[in-house]
Amino acid sequence: MVIGLLIPFVEITLAGAIINASVHFVPVGGAPAAMATSTGIGTGTTQLAAGAGFTGLMAAATMAAQNGIDIFNPLHWIIILLSGAVGSMIMLGLTMLIGQLIYVFGVGVVPAADKCERDPITGDYQKSYITPGTTGHAIPTVCFISGLIGAALGGIGGALAYVALKQLGFSSEVAGIMAVGFFFMNAVLASYNIGGTIEGFHDPKFKKIPNGIVASFVASLLTGIIVVVMSLGI
Amino acid sequence: MSHGGGGHAAELYPENQILAIGTILAIMGMYISQFFPQVSMLLGGLLASAAIVAGANTTRKVAAYGLGTGVPSIGMLSLGMGIISSVAGIYLVNTVVKILGAGSELLYIIPIVVIVISVVLGYIVGRLTVKPIGMKIPVMVESMTKLSLMGALSIIGFCTAYAGGFLPNIIIPGSIENGVMALAFIAAGMGILHPFNACLGPNESHKRTLTLAVACGFLTWFIFSVARLDVVSSIASIVLWAVVYKEFIKQSLKDACCVYYTPEIPKREM
Repeated sequence: MVIGLLIPFVEITLAGAIINASVHFVPVGGAPAAMATSTGIGTGTTQLAAGAGFTGLMAAATMAAQNGIDIFNPLHWIIILLSGAVGSMIMLGLTMLIGQLIYVFGVGVVPAADKCERDPITGDYQKSYITPGTTGHAIPTVCFISGLIGAALGGIGGALAYVALKQLGFSSEVAGIMAVGFFFMNAVLASYNIGGTIEGFHDPKFKKIPNGIVASFVASLLTGIIVVVMSLGI
Repeated sequence: MSHGGGGHAAELYPENQILAIGTILAIMGMYISQFFPQVSMLLGGLLASAAIVAGANTTRKVAAYGLGTGVPSIGMLSLGMGIISSVAGIYLVNTVVKILGAGSELLYIIPIVVIVISVVLGYIVGRLTVKPIGMKIPVMVESMTKLSLMGALSIIGFCTAYAGGFLPNIIIPGSIENGVMALAFIAAGMGILHPFNACLGPNESHKRTLTLAVACGFLTWFIFSVARLDVVSSIASIVLWAVVYKEFIKQSLKDACCVYYTPEIPKREM
């Protein structure tokens, strides 16, 4: 009985920390990126994280609802988490790809990162391609890879929260809506930690990640306690 | 005059006054829906709109400092905490009744329990945004507490109005398991975050933002009335919305510096 409650409790606490970490990877450019004067996707952190997280959550929920899937079986548990990660990666990958097509062929800019001399992955020089007065354009390789890592983590975090709630015995509807609320809480905490725009793991702001993880860990611990006590009344 | 950390426009009513009125009206609405289910949408929905107005007013107060991530984020945070508190309130009281064998009269304190949980959750999340995250907004903790409270009240208010009561055996099948709560999440969220997001700028006025907040509250009520197929409240809410929204447009035109209807540029030089 105690173990049965403890595992979901640990899962939901970790889920919050993972969701928070995931948001730091997503290249967010906000309004400047929408005008192609900064690197990243042209919208806010919360919206992007929510989009990727929800798709992951849907993918995980669909997988969990398949016949023969048992959420208590460790192998099936991993499959659910992975399907969440893949769902989320597809969503964010497509968003970045279409955004990139518009940046390159519509706006006519060269993808270039401002926060590093050379792209850490391709090794290409960045500075000479940046228009003066801007902080980069579009989504360079490093940002794209960073975004995919972030999406995978976000999907795993969302799926973990959903699975934990299911393991506590909530019906799918309650688990889904609680996971959505939980996801938003942690995603916004992360976006306050970032404070506006971030390019990805090579951005200097990425070093603030421990603050965000600690904050989400504490908030999720509290949510975990509430949720476990709630589950006794089903 | 409130834009991006540039101080605040004059307040028409003190924030706490709007907050208190919003809380009291929303609680009244929930009890009316519980005891008179036949008018739950008409009165419960109308009174739940008050929580949206109070939430939008608090959003205005805190977002005027400049959050750095846009106004929508705080509305979503408010609703995220609100949805956890409202579902938790329903199930926690159920736990006490089932496990400790308390009388089922205890179930009538659900709205109060929701308020307590949302205030505690909001306060702790507010503290976390100040330390370790380091938001430098002086009213952050109290605003987070208030927003969490208003998010919870608007969600459970509309869900109660839809289901016709807040007892677990009514609200769980009536509002949660059929997914109406997701509608409450996004519709009430829009109502809380939209008014200030739409009105912010160098000439923001409290009166105009509040008018739009009232319009958003009525529009949310209208959405729920239609979802419930309640003809009387659908008509009442859309009429009220039209009246308030017309007033909002009038104010916007009045506050605009000048409205010119420029003619077309002539095709060739005269």
